[in-house]
Amino acid sequence: MRTGYVVFEIRRAFRDSKFFLFAVALPVGLFVLESNVIRDVPASYLMGSLAAFGAFKAALDTGARTAVERGIGWQRQLRLTPLTGAGYLTAKAAVAMLVALPPVAGVSLAAALLSGVELTTPAKLATLLAIWAGIVPFALLGLLIGQLATPQNLQAYQGGVVLVMSFVGGLFIPVTSFPAVLARIAEVLPSYWLAEIGHSVAPGGGRIGQAALVLALYTLALGVAVAVRYRRDQARP
Amino acid sequence: MTTHAVAARRLRKDHGGTRAVDGVDLLITPGEVVALLGPNGAGKSTLIEMITGLTRPDTGEITVFGDAPVAAVRSGAVGVMLQEAGLLDDVTVQEAVAMIASLHRAPLPVEEALRRAGLTDLAARRSARLSGGEKQRVRFAMALVPGPDLLILDEPTSAMDVAARRDFWRSMRDFGAAGRTVLFATHYLEEAEQHADRVVFMRDGAVVADGPVSVVLARVSGRTVRAAVPDARLDELRALPGVAGVELRGGRAELRSADADAVVRELLARFPGTHDIEVIGAGLDEAFIRLTEEEAAS
Repeated sequence: MRTGYVVFEIRRAFRDSKFFLFAVALPVGLFVLESNVIRDVPASYLMGSLAAFGAFKAALDTGARTAVERGIGWQRQLRLTPLTGAGYLTAKAAVAMLVALPPVAGVSLAAALLSGVELTTPAKLATLLAIWAGIVPFALLGLLIGQLATPQNLQAYQGGVVLVMSFVGGLFIPVTSFPAVLARIAEVLPSYWLAEIGHSVAPGGGRIGQAALVLALYTLALGVAVAVRYRRDQARP
Repeated sequence: MTTHAVAARRLRKDHGGTRAVDGVDLLITPGEVVALLGPNGAGKSTLIEMITGLTRPDTGEITVFGDAPVAAVRSGAVGVMLQEAGLLDDVTVQEAVAMIASLHRAPLPVEEALRRAGLTDLAARRSARLSGGEKQRVRFAMALVPGPDLLILDEPTSAMDVAARRDFWRSMRDFGAAGRTVLFATHYLEEAEQHADRVVFMRDGAVVADGPVSVVLARVSGRTVRAAVPDARLDELRALPGVAGVELRGGRAELRSADADAVVRELLARFPGTHDIEVIGAGLDEAFIRLTEEEAAS
């Protein structure tokens, strides 16, 4: 419907080469580092964790950057066009999803080339696709942060959420090495379940069905939160 | 009955406990060019927000071409230039205007909107590298590109230099010549005087004067006659017929009157030594000060 607007946003997203370089280089670099340091888990497991990390961070960051558009009054400008709030948020979420693809591809490629992780079976490629599909709640979480933060405190919000999701969710350090209490807490986070999808490529597999259910519930809850918050924000004088 | 471009009845809007707009009635006929004037905090911006559907009134009714404001804006019938609306630094002028055009059903060609706003040479430039006045022109192009019947402009020429301001009003005249309606808020009183058919003064959330520029000016007692009158006394000047006020300093008199011609005739008849006569029209500036003072006193 609003293809002109979606194309406009995609061009903006892909023009930001610094953002892209960082979005891909960070998870790839972490994978190379960890696969050489952490010896007690297979490289395919680390690949699942870090592909999930790269994907959710790219999506969340993209969504959260709407705080700037809100802060400078660009969203007000858009309200003076036929673009609806739903149209705006959907386009932003779609772009966030798109931006999350290169990090998944980058980590997978590094795993295949440097650590010899076998990725050629359809089932394993499907897993990579499932990681990507699983980041919808993170794109929404980013949009929610974008509605709550100001351009000035955005970094703090965004950085804090990414750190908790990554460390506590077990994406940087495998949950298997967590103390029992922390491992229980990890299971509350959507990032844990996103990584769980990724871990299905590793020996031992992952609880795909349960992960899909948790992520779907997060999607629902965050979708409602974004919609309610956006409506309330627009009703402000 | 014709449909009004804007029809507002008894609009009220509170902002955090204070009444920003307090019972405004405003009817704008298609084709009118209306200037909205008033000191800061008079409620101009809140009124514009209600007309454009950005804010809903607490009470009262408002329609734009017979529709709810939001519907009118979405249909492309209303183009709005907001003063504080930010532009995206990473986007070129051409991209921003083309994206807005893509959202509308029957937009102007993007090239035409850019040309009318004087942006043809800046089309490939990113917003981060535009001056304040150039950014205003981008906002103007974004308001024009839907091909609106009603154009609403909040302080359109702020941050523009004199030449840019002149070019801006020239393109506005081209736009208005097609019978379109324009409502603009401004701090530059001479802009209202030169470019509007009608002036609406606001103060403390209410309309204190509304009418053709000439009528609003007439409300503040005509013109001032200045002359050197070496042999006159203050009480003699005050007694002249039709004189509303006099000042006399060092042989130079300043006489305010609704009928300046009669005062000049009387002066020359009674004081043949009168010379260096000037007749000055009361500007909108003066009208503005008097209207706001008048209201404050009452």
